[in-house]
Amino acid sequence: MFLAIKEIKREKLRYGLIILMIFLVSYLIFMLSSLAVGLASENTQAIKSWNTQEVVLNKNANVSMNQSTLTKTDLKKADIGSNEALVGENAVVAKHKKRPSVSSQFLGVKKSQFIYKNLELVSGKKATKNNEVTVDQDFKVKGYKIGDKLELNGSKKKYKIVGFVKNAKINIAPIIYGSMTTWKKLRQGMPDVQASAIISRTNGYKYNHGNAKTYPVKQFIQKLPGHTAQNMTFELMIGFLFVISLIIIAVFLYILTMQKMHNFAVMRAQGIPSKTLVGATISQSIILVAVGVILGLIVMWITAMLLPAAVPMSFTPSIMIIGSVGMLLTGIIGSLIPIRSILKVDPAKAIGE
Amino acid sequence: MAVIELKDVTKVFGTGSAQVKALKDVNFQANKGEVVLIMGPSGAGKSTFLTIAGSLQKPSSGLVSINGKDITKLSAKQSNNLRLNKVGFVLQAYNLVPFLNVQEQFQLVDKVKKQGNLSKEELTDLLKQLGITDLVKKYPNELSGGQQQRVAIARALYANPEILLADEPTASLDSKNVEEVGKLFKDLAKSHEKAVMLVTHDPRLEQYADHIYNMMDGKMAKKK
Repeated sequence: MFLAIKEIKREKLRYGLIILMIFLVSYLIFMLSSLAVGLASENTQAIKSWNTQEVVLNKNANVSMNQSTLTKTDLKKADIGSNEALVGENAVVAKHKKRPSVSSQFLGVKKSQFIYKNLELVSGKKATKNNEVTVDQDFKVKGYKIGDKLELNGSKKKYKIVGFVKNAKINIAPIIYGSMTTWKKLRQGMPDVQASAIISRTNGYKYNHGNAKTYPVKQFIQKLPGHTAQNMTFELMIGFLFVISLIIIAVFLYILTMQKMHNFAVMRAQGIPSKTLVGATISQSIILVAVGVILGLIVMWITAMLLPAAVPMSFTPSIMIIGSVGMLLTGIIGSLIPIRSILKVDPAKAIGE
Repeated sequence: MAVIELKDVTKVFGTGSAQVKALKDVNFQANKGEVVLIMGPSGAGKSTFLTIAGSLQKPSSGLVSINGKDITKLSAKQSNNLRLNKVGFVLQAYNLVPFLNVQEQFQLVDKVKKQGNLSKEELTDLLKQLGITDLVKKYPNELSGGQQQRVAIARALYANPEILLADEPTASLDSKNVEEVGKLFKDLAKSHEKAVMLVTHDPRLEQYADHIYNMMDGKMAKKK
């Protein structure tokens, strides 16, 4: 550690540049991870807020709630207890003459069931009438106010916003919670349809009857449009960034080590043990990565504070911890590469040069 | 008893037609309080002699002993320990660690050798004797060649070794500085009870030597 700190202090520019690069890579990793988590969260926010364990859908709907319709016949034998709720989903465009249009998902829910009961209000109240809706706080960010009246999919009928709720997004779209009656009106031409899905928060809940089929929530989430592709893309980018940072650290430390071989030979000739030199190299790498990552964390935190709420970014403690530990491990692995050269230094080379 | 002794030491590099005998049946010894010069032209085998005497490499045959103990069979770790405790090197280009100031050069020794180094008072005296007391906060690139050499000598002596090995210590010095360095080594040998071995081809140092060995084509002969 002594040699590592002294050298970094003395060679500020050289090590400053390495720290700058590690900072940029870690900043990018934090940024992409936050975006990945943020987007994934907006895909599944509502599903998670309901504590969903199982989802019952029409078996021909390709595990998509939007495509699913459950009829009276399908639901005939369904056991809807306190942990189950019927949901009707329909994609809608919400319009207001003075506000921007919002592509949303209308969710029809029943007042007697847990989804309605557990809505997390930010302001206002829960919708109780068929012409009332409770909307995600994203509407608030876009300028909507309680009392605003929405047109849904160009309907003549208007729906009054009576409350804003949090954690109400699905497929990255804000949710408009309303009654099942309203949902049925929006879903015209299918009079026999009772719901899109049964959401159950009981692990192992199973209902397979008629066209109804039960799917575990994991499978349901994986099948959300774009969810898996989006996550895999981010994972690939983050993975590559880790590999790039590994290469940067390894190459820089290798070059620096090669430049210091004569110094190492001299120190070895003077009896400085190899383990001291190896320890200095590893601790140097840890210091460089730690400083770069800390800077990355600070700048990322400032970025997250400054970005508008519309950017789906979620800079969570788990991202901080996993990203930082990942970078530190990468740094340690990178520093192991030049160690072989250090161990092979011939102290006799220090003589006569 | 001699502090360091080499008996019939031979060092061969390469094999077959590429074989080179760098040292041929070398016999040598040095005692505490003595300055011993090993002289000879380039390629005579002086550096090879120094690396074997300093336990940096092993001879092909023969015996090397320090305080009567054979050092040719030591492991790499034991050799390292020996260099740290018994042998101080002053190298040709002084070779101070470039990112450590003078004070930190000594601290580095403290980090790896916790006991037996010079005390604060002894170091202060040594720095005074070498005339570098005011340079403790300076980095190697802020020192002149002569100052760097003095610091290198101080660092070599800081671990309190019994043997001081110097490789061409006057290579880049003018006559006035050579005289100073010669006197300094003589003083150090006497006042600090060290066996000082100077590998050089500089005849200006001869007047400060207690013994002189000449090397030519790997063979060593005692001149004085």
